[in-house]
Amino acid sequence: MTAAGRAGAGSRRATLLVLPAVVPVVVVVGAALTSAVLLSLGLTPLVGRPELSLDAWRATELGTSIRLSLAIAAGATAVATVVGLCLALAVTAGARRSRLLATLSSLTIPVPHLVGAAAMGLLLADAGFLPRLLGIAPADWPALVGGRWWIAVGAEYAWKESAFIALVVAGVLSSRVASYTETAALLGAGRWARFRHVTLPLAAPALGASAAVSFVYTLGSYEVAALLGRPSPEPLPVLAVRLFTSIDLAARPQAAAVAVTTSALGLVAVLVSLRSLRRLAAEQ
Amino acid sequence: MSGSLQLTGLTRVHAAGAPPALDDLTLAVPAGSCVAVLGPSGSGKSTVLRLTAGLDTPTRGSVHLDGRDLAGVVPERRGMAMVFQRPLLFPHLSVRDNVGFADRVRGLPRRQARERAEHHLELVQLGGFGSRPARALSGGQAQRVALARALAAEPRVLLLDEPFSALDTGLRQEMHELLADLRLRLAPTVLLVTHDPAEADALADTVAVLAAGRLQQLGPMRELYARPRSLAVSRLLGGRTEVPGTVTGGRHRSALGELELPAPAPEGPGVLVVRPEAVTLVAAADADARGTVVQVRRRGLRALVTVEVAGRGTEPAAVAAELSPGEEVAVGAEVGLRIPVTARCVVPPAGLADAREGASAHDRQR
Repeated sequence: MTAAGRAGAGSRRATLLVLPAVVPVVVVVGAALTSAVLLSLGLTPLVGRPELSLDAWRATELGTSIRLSLAIAAGATAVATVVGLCLALAVTAGARRSRLLATLSSLTIPVPHLVGAAAMGLLLADAGFLPRLLGIAPADWPALVGGRWWIAVGAEYAWKESAFIALVVAGVLSSRVASYTETAALLGAGRWARFRHVTLPLAAPALGASAAVSFVYTLGSYEVAALLGRPSPEPLPVLAVRLFTSIDLAARPQAAAVAVTTSALGLVAVLVSLRSLRRLAAEQ
Repeated sequence: MSGSLQLTGLTRVHAAGAPPALDDLTLAVPAGSCVAVLGPSGSGKSTVLRLTAGLDTPTRGSVHLDGRDLAGVVPERRGMAMVFQRPLLFPHLSVRDNVGFADRVRGLPRRQARERAEHHLELVQLGGFGSRPARALSGGQAQRVALARALAAEPRVLLLDEPFSALDTGLRQEMHELLADLRLRLAPTVLLVTHDPAEADALADTVAVLAAGRLQQLGPMRELYARPRSLAVSRLLGGRTEVPGTVTGGRHRSALGELELPAPAPEGPGVLVVRPEAVTLVAAADADARGTVVQVRRRGLRALVTVEVAGRGTEPAAVAAELSPGEEVAVGAEVGLRIPVTARCVVPPAGLADAREGASAHDRQR
């Protein structure tokens, strides 16, 4: 067998080995997305004749929901990234308390978002635990739950995702950063210069990847926004679920349009972050 | 640029009750000199560097640089740079920006830092490599860049932690020449840690031998080879001949017979140690002792032979001799041994070594 032949056989074998993972993803996601696109374009109506139309895309207030969803995801991810990075730095600092901190922050990870949302509601609502503890009357307590600024929603996502980000970043930092920061210190770099010129660049790929995962998850997540958000305007996933479960069967194509939009936004976010991560990885 | 370093009574105990990793080390590194700390793995030699650099805090003792006590001074303000066994080039920076790192964090504008980096890259013969990514270098090149990066920080003391031990023999030789050249041009103060006597010999003016955290002997390498103060030092420097016996009236009595010593030695039990390269095989008439060749090992053009000398009423003694290039001898041959008087050295037996050596190493420093 020639070298080219061997290489061809090798790549065929690799393709075959990957197939068990790829097939279910393509079948499930591909089929779901295709049917959602067809439904949103009026080509597979539940009643009536199939007819190509953009009515479903025009009927909903997609623009407002997109802006709101992006804002919630960006805000929560930004906070989670900062908090997660700080946690990772504290955990890898080598102090005696760092192990306790690591255990506490990793305890957050197995708690489901739904439970987290309920807890956040009980804590931050105007008759919740926090205002009672502080002795503030419900009327004087800011509307953190169901209020204008989606504070409780952002806080829940930030709390949960920061632990995830901390876990990923701490894994990278603990294995490689100590010797580099010692080298940098001996080259005259103070605490801030070490963080700015060594720790942050070395943590960047892991930080970027985990932030991207957190952003895309928050963008497509339903339960926290539904529980702790205000009724209107609605973020994309809440809007999609409401339209899909509506008694008005004509709202199904609109729900599909919202779902397709959410998936497209998630895909764009993943592609953009993959691209910048590849650039970061190429530098290292 | 170069400063003088003084370590005094430096001690580091990692855990209460555990033996100290470093025990009462006093060592001076004069400005512009190179002092090597030589010792086997676990002897505490890297601890010396970490304590000097401020990466670890001594349990007792002090580090003075140009007369200033560095207690409580953070590593970045000590004016030292260190090259580790691994190059540890920052992977996100180019070669040029790695070398310019110290200047950048010092606040120098990027362009100026890069110009200076190019100059330092030329010093380590890597001019033109500046724009390469740090990970695109071979092991030897990366270690050169690490050296250039440390020099660019203009440290008052350059600390080298086994910097060439991961390189192959040829590259190591090149790095030794490079460092010797840099010493001639820049005269930095260097504190080097190594486990390789040849490296210490090639680079250092003075060598401190460390074993189990204690300073065993301090002096020029030639002196350590010729006059080891203990079995540990002799073994670390490749000494193979150890003949137990007794010293009386300036003579060593053993299986080799009665041998005159070049310098007065303490009376009583003592082990005669001799470098293999000092021993020659001669005709029986001129010999100090006679024996049988029991082992021949090749060392390039030379052969290292072990000659067993049967003692009269004592244990037989084994003497190692390195032959001249081309000289051959067969196993089983009866040979005569010539051990020049100046090459004879008596050290305390293993049991007595600790007490006597500890005291004598201490005396030397006072």
